[in-house]
Amino acid sequence: MRPASYEASDEELFRLMRNGSQEAFARLYDRRAPALQRFALHMTGSPAIAEEISHEVFVQLMGPTSRFDESRGSLESFLYGIARNLVRVFRRQGPVAETVEQAFEPDILRELIGNESTQALYRTLRELPDRYRDVIVLCDLEERSYEDVARIIECPVGTVRSRLHRARALLAAKLKRIQAQTEVFSA
Amino acid sequence: MSCRETTAELVECARGQGSPNRELRAHMAACSACRERWEAERQLSAHLNLMRACSSAVAPADGNKAALMREFATYQRTKKKPLWAWPLAAAAAVVFAMAIGHETGVMQHRHRPVNSTSAHFAGADTVLYEVSSYPGEFAGDSFVQVPYTPPVATGEMIRMIHTEMVPEALASMGVDVDPSWTENVPVDVAVGEDGLPHAIRISDSN
Repeated sequence: MRPASYEASDEELFRLMRNGSQEAFARLYDRRAPALQRFALHMTGSPAIAEEISHEVFVQLMGPTSRFDESRGSLESFLYGIARNLVRVFRRQGPVAETVEQAFEPDILRELIGNESTQALYRTLRELPDRYRDVIVLCDLEERSYEDVARIIECPVGTVRSRLHRARALLAAKLKRIQAQTEVFSA
Repeated sequence: MSCRETTAELVECARGQGSPNRELRAHMAACSACRERWEAERQLSAHLNLMRACSSAVAPADGNKAALMREFATYQRTKKKPLWAWPLAAAAAVVFAMAIGHETGVMQHRHRPVNSTSAHFAGADTVLYEVSSYPGEFAGDSFVQVPYTPPVATGEMIRMIHTEMVPEALASMGVDVDPSWTENVPVDVAVGEDGLPHAIRISDSN
């Protein structure tokens, strides 16, 4: 008998889903879709594409071509893997017209738009190579632990840490240049 | 403590929004590069925190989930009935319907025994033949092979059924009748072990 607070793992829900349980599929979606959509938003900068990616991840998961194998890794890692591939596909198609600010709440938006440095930093983030952007988004924007991120992007914890430090150094350098330019213009 | 070690600790410190410990502070007091790096990391963390706060409200629209659930339900239905099975099932149904329908049609019509050289089943309206060479077996008896049916094998048992058919149907099968006739025509139908009619002729035992 399972306790009332028992939370089925992603993999258990996946097995139920494969046997036709729509409820299991819905629970998986509720659990993973928001973070996947935020991840896609940070990676692409487009709310519409982010929504499309999070949708497509689950379409691929339920489809006949889904290749998830429990023995090879976690379902979460598999889902992020699909999302990362889709992000690359969309990035290859070129820049998108809309901006990330469209996705945010009006009050927060005002704060973001008011901070030009943050906007510029956001653009810089999207220009980073994928391997650096992945870790910034997952570690610093999604606040995942190094161990989680290592599992998600399937590399050693040490690699995650070193990539993050390198990515932050790149962003910090960019931020410094942005602030220097802002000071010059305002002077 | 080296600059490399200090930087690694400063990054973690800035990420956790903590304060550098005494050792780090001592190093920074003597190292302007690490002091600058600490300041840059602190500011970067502030900006990233703002980005995180901005995106925390982002979530899939309700309509997306509903659409996905509909797709899931549709997929589950199609999964149970693979696409390749539909043509196969349809073909099987047609063949089955042809066989059963024909047998039923035969049973509903008035039957008469047929004069034949083969053995009769007492009281039945069917006669059983063993095919020695087909279609020559029937060719001499004015039989016309029914189109689209496979040939019967030598040694296969054939049932001869006497029934009536509308002239138009007979004409469409290649039997020499006037399709404008209004009355049904008595016929002998050779039915194979597969239940399909293989040959047909106008009966001379009306």
